[in-house]
Amino acid sequence: MSQSVTPEDRRKLWEAMRVPVFSFVALLMFLAGLVGLGWLMPGRTASFIEAGLTLCMILTVLLFSMEVREESSLAKFYSFLGFCWLSILLCMTMVDYLTR
Amino acid sequence: MRAEAASIIGAPVGIETHEQFSNPAQQKHAAELGMWAWLLTELLLFGGLFLIALVLRYQYPDSVHAAALHLKFWIGAANTAILICSSLTMSGAIMLSRLGGQRWMVRCMLATAALGSLFLVLKGYEWFADWQEHMTPFLPGPYALEGDAQSRLFVNLYFVTTALHGLHLTTGVAILLGLTWMAKQPDFLVKHQNRIEIYGLYWHFIDLIWIMAFAVLYVVGR
Repeated sequence: MSQSVTPEDRRKLWEAMRVPVFSFVALLMFLAGLVGLGWLMPGRTASFIEAGLTLCMILTVLLFSMEVREESSLAKFYSFLGFCWLSILLCMTMVDYLTR
Repeated sequence: MRAEAASIIGAPVGIETHEQFSNPAQQKHAAELGMWAWLLTELLLFGGLFLIALVLRYQYPDSVHAAALHLKFWIGAANTAILICSSLTMSGAIMLSRLGGQRWMVRCMLATAALGSLFLVLKGYEWFADWQEHMTPFLPGPYALEGDAQSRLFVNLYFVTTALHGLHLTTGVAILLGLTWMAKQPDFLVKHQNRIEIYGLYWHFIDLIWIMAFAVLYVVGR
């Protein structure tokens, strides 16, 4: 028997793929912003905006692509904890350099 | 007489429960938690490299800027877009596995592996172009920024970080192709649907790490 996409399939697929498609579009838009800033404003001028866009991309992948928002509380805690450790590592080291 | 068309989704989906678990949900939860624990150790591994890049940027801004201008910015940007596309196809494979669309799931997995391979080809070309421009200070021969000793630190870090990410991606493509081969078996989704979900976490994580690497090495360093 041949397989084809029925209207019911299409509805179910769109329902399932809506969030991945929106996060895909959002990621491409954030990337466009990051590339535009990197190309047009090199140097430290736009560093904070670039950091903000990168953070938005990280959160989009974590929350929507990796579906952390739908995970159990323990998995949410794990993912949050990993980025906390990373933040401690980055903050403590950079505070040392920035306050010398 | 017209042949009746079958739906592309709706095949039975399930998880074969191992004896140490009381139900499939518990098994899936344990596997997800295990994958997250491993991904966090990977995050800290790459985090150390990103930290070094930021320290170098702060301590030697002119040297890092000079070295970063030699990086192939547009190849880095194209590779980021390629991995974002591969994340979409991987999400497609996960959704189709949940809906019981085995044939299209396999196609999505193959598309993901193809995009990952394209990333590696472009990265290989980028390294080749770096070598041609004498931007490989760890190899014998001339170095383009010979008088700038600090720039060597950044360029070496760039190669270590991108090579480590490339290793993860190569492993990821290899595992994905193996999983695709297994996923073609008729009863795969009935017994092992969760494997697609767990592997999907790894693939998205590779994407996440590259997004950070692109921002830290290619964009902030410029």
